[in-house]
Amino acid sequence: MLNPTTPVRAGASAVPYGHAIGSEKWRGTELAHLLQGKIRLLFEDGLGLVDFHIANRTCILYISEADIVAGNAFKRRLVQFRKACNLKGIVIVEKTRLSDQYLPPVQTFVVLELGMVLLPVANKSEAAQLLINLVLERSKERTSNPFIGKKSCQFSSTNILSTVQTIPGVGKVTALQLLQHFPSIHQLANASHSQLEAVVGHGTASNVHAFFTRT
Amino acid sequence: QPVSIVLADSREIASGPEVISCLKTVHKVKVEVCPLGGCDYIVSNRLAVERKSLSDFSSGVNRSKLVERVKNLQNLFERVCLIVEKDRVKPGETSRLFQRTKYYDSTLSALTSAGVQILFSSSQEETAGLLKELMQLEQRKRTAITVPTQVTGNKQHALRFYLSIPDVSYIAALNLCHHFQSVKQMSGSSVDAIAKRAQVSRQKAEEIYRYVHHVFEAEMLQTRH
Repeated sequence: MLNPTTPVRAGASAVPYGHAIGSEKWRGTELAHLLQGKIRLLFEDGLGLVDFHIANRTCILYISEADIVAGNAFKRRLVQFRKACNLKGIVIVEKTRLSDQYLPPVQTFVVLELGMVLLPVANKSEAAQLLINLVLERSKERTSNPFIGKKSCQFSSTNILSTVQTIPGVGKVTALQLLQHFPSIHQLANASHSQLEAVVGHGTASNVHAFFTRT
Repeated sequence: QPVSIVLADSREIASGPEVISCLKTVHKVKVEVCPLGGCDYIVSNRLAVERKSLSDFSSGVNRSKLVERVKNLQNLFERVCLIVEKDRVKPGETSRLFQRTKYYDSTLSALTSAGVQILFSSSQEETAGLLKELMQLEQRKRTAITVPTQVTGNKQHALRFYLSIPDVSYIAALNLCHHFQSVKQMSGSSVDAIAKRAQVSRQKAEEIYRYVHHVFEAEMLQTRH
């Protein structure tokens, strides 16, 4: 069934949001049944190594309990997939009492060696729940993902003030004085001893100058 | 064979003692305990590892905490890995059955979508093994930690200074400390020089450069009431 010349269906990288394209072999299975109604599942022939295509160039490869216990054939399939395309691969693996012991090396192989994502599930209904979430997540606006997003606004001036206060012997008052005359860290670092002395006292000027040049 | 170093946060001594001792004794990895602040382990110049117990991770109550923590790590590091570790069963207690929830699945989906690496571990010992493998992988990619982690004398002041720069990780600050002769030299450096010596991405180096050259305005100070 696996045709090495077409390991991944060409053009399957564009899947409409809220949809999943499933391999024909999943038609009529328990998993397909659980997915129906929650997401739009289409079946296609010739997906090759991939079980499901979802949006954002992501593919799902399903490793069943039987695959793991049977040996290393699934590894060849994953390597083939990795070599064939640059689509993102998520490996869903059945972690049951039977397959549990084999899982640590599988995780090392998939995540660390192949650089793919591995998500264990206990059974087909958990797999369906996870798949639905993956499809829905990738259909949402990226901004609704709490882990993606711009940094909160910065208060650079506040930060710079506290950075300058880390110089030994410099408190808030001295830091403000210094920054009013040498308004960036770059300028402050390049100030000569006499320039510093004109702003703060002799002792502090020596401290600051020594800090920048000797540490 | 270069020396393998992993930085561990001081809080991990209490929360993951077996992880640390296993790294040291079984895997022969040099573990340096440092006040890392925002993260649990630093295994290379660019990779931070956060250790979360399964019960913590799967509880929706901790959502905002998790989001905040991961986002903070993403600001500090190029790569972030999350190890979800099964809770320890105290003697006399039976392990609770894990109930998979919609929250758990949607969190996993969001994390993978954001490019956060997720690993699952069944114990602290296994976590130690994963940390070692992550470290070795980073070593092969030539991003391993190479600087001494001990900072003495005047350099301690410089370390504090570098750590106060927004979004500079502990390891980047250490690299800055050891690879620049003085803070003056660092502040006069180009973006490329900063990237190379701090072992950070070009983007991060640009941020540091901009910070050093940012003009202070007293009226922009955040007022605290």
